Amino acid sequence: MNTQNSQPLLELRDVSKTFKLPSGDVRALAHVSLGIRRGDLVALVGPSGSGKTTLLNVIGSLDRPSQGEVLLEGIRIDTLSEEKLVLFRREKFSFIFQDAKPLRMLNVLENTLLPFNFFKPKNSNGNLKDAAIEIITSLGLGHRIYHMPNQLSGGEIQRVAIARALITRPAVILADEPTANLDRTNRLFVIETFKRLTRETGITIVFSTHDLEIANISDRIVQMKDGTVLDEEPSPCPPCPA
Amino acid sequence: MELLSLAAKDILRRKAKSLYLLAAIVIPVAILSTILLTLDNADSSLSTLASKFGFTMSVQPKNVKVERIDQIGIVIGEYIPESIIATVESAVRSRIRNDREPIIIAPRLYLRTDIRAGKSPVNSVVAGVDFQAELAAKPSWKVTSGRWPAGESEAVLGGTYARANNFSEKDGITINGREFRVVGVLQDYNASEDYMVFVPFRVLQSLSSREGFLSLVNVQNVSLDRDRNLLSSLVADLNGKVPNIKALAPQQFSTMKYMLLKKTFKFLFSIIAATVFISIFAIFNIVTSVLFSRVREIGLLKAVGASRSQLLAVFLSEYAALGLAAGIVGYPAGMVITYLLDSLVLNLGAGVRVSPAVILIAVASGLLCSLTASFYPTYQLSKIKITDSFRTQWEV
Repeated sequence: MNTQNSQPLLELRDVSKTFKLPSGDVRALAHVSLGIRRGDLVALVGPSGSGKTTLLNVIGSLDRPSQGEVLLEGIRIDTLSEEKLVLFRREKFSFIFQDAKPLRMLNVLENTLLPFNFFKPKNSNGNLKDAAIEIITSLGLGHRIYHMPNQLSGGEIQRVAIARALITRPAVILADEPTANLDRTNRLFVIETFKRLTRETGITIVFSTHDLEIANISDRIVQMKDGTVLDEEPSPCPPCPA
Repeated sequence: MELLSLAAKDILRRKAKSLYLLAAIVIPVAILSTILLTLDNADSSLSTLASKFGFTMSVQPKNVKVERIDQIGIVIGEYIPESIIATVESAVRSRIRNDREPIIIAPRLYLRTDIRAGKSPVNSVVAGVDFQAELAAKPSWKVTSGRWPAGESEAVLGGTYARANNFSEKDGITINGREFRVVGVLQDYNASEDYMVFVPFRVLQSLSSREGFLSLVNVQNVSLDRDRNLLSSLVADLNGKVPNIKALAPQQFSTMKYMLLKKTFKFLFSIIAATVFISIFAIFNIVTSVLFSRVREIGLLKAVGASRSQLLAVFLSEYAALGLAAGIVGYPAGMVITYLLDSLVLNLGAGVRVSPAVILIAVASGLLCSLTASFYPTYQLSKIKITDSFRTQWEV
């Protein structure tokens, strides 16, 4: 576990989220309080409908909580306007979705650089293309740089999503079931990559999973049920070297 | 890579859907181009038709005595100063919008005199005309044998006159002591011209000692043909301000032409309006269907940092590019349809000309169709929440 900063990077204070549906209100999160430190690899586990995805969305400011506060680096983000949130998300968050395939008309390199079609990189020293190639190569896709998505396997596609998430150098990567459709080898590769990234770059990664084997590799497991945090425990696996 | 490059790559990736949408936009553009080109074509044809019926306006001496009206229905012996040409030209020019539009002014001088051709003299009506102006205004005027005069001592004869007096091409005739060579015989038009001898205007002025005078000025102009009110005001103005002249306009023909054009325009534009409306609706449905199949893509773009305005820019530039392409393709398609329509149905015979104005309208209408149809669905989908875009099955 990275202990370079004992103050939480992310903090949720008594967060609840209720969806108003025609059939009645559905409470997806109930009084969740959580602190996540910089460089942590956190696994959200729990059965379907337990609130994992909603929690990730609230953390990433994709959804606003119905109650409570969400803070990143001490700044309350749940009250920011939509325009400010777009800018804030660009700066601080990257997302990896289970079903978000790369854009079919772009090759691996172009998909990795996709965010920079919409904003300029922060602290850009050197060539972006070189930086993207370095990331792609570090993810084992060096031979696929100019390949199109339809030429990639499921595991490789997920690695492209990771590369795209990394290129903006975010503070936090939020990944919703990033290993759900992968075989065991690729699941382990993805999670080990996450672990390595948190160690090497200090990026915080929060991901949801049903897979306990994967969750056990993380620094910390947050167990959820019916929208509440049941239990929090550090991973039983030995900590990786910093 | 920029937003436009993203849009371009997407068009190329979705070739089939892009072509389908392109075809949907090309149809109204081609119909619009066809109608505008046909109207242009019809206008040229009506102008040609107008020349068969006569000039737009004539200016002749006022208060003509009855005895001055010749047996073939023209006025001989009353003259007006040649300065009327400049007056009329200036009056017409000040009323028409297009400075470069031709105003044809054809002066005539009539003289009744004896013509000798080695036989007994024949009392005849001789018309001094500006052949170039007459032919420009009346392309239907034709010689059945021979050619048009090229020199000052050459003449052509009205068809009836030539037959009645056994004159033919290559005969020599003498008018007021000057010899002319007959170089052509005119087709019959059932008009007073059938009974005349035509020589160059200036030559007859000199032969009859009427330098600086003329019997009649004929005027032709397309703008005046089109606009009955404009023509009426010009005629009234000339009659009111210029002494001793009488301006006349063949109102019946002008009115008929005006009404025909007006009705045609109304009918054709109602077709355009209906077609464009139906097409925009069809394009709207296609775009909506395509966009709904791209909801996850929209969510992904938002997740990587695209703002709403940037999303609109990417998607609308895609549809703008397709609209532009449809305009560029639709115009030549319209030309082909116009040509076929003219050849097979309308037989206007004026040919299909390249019209920069219609090209501009075609391109603008392609853009307008695609942007009008795509703006609303694009705008609505740009509002979708990232979480919703991945949560729901949107495939269409």
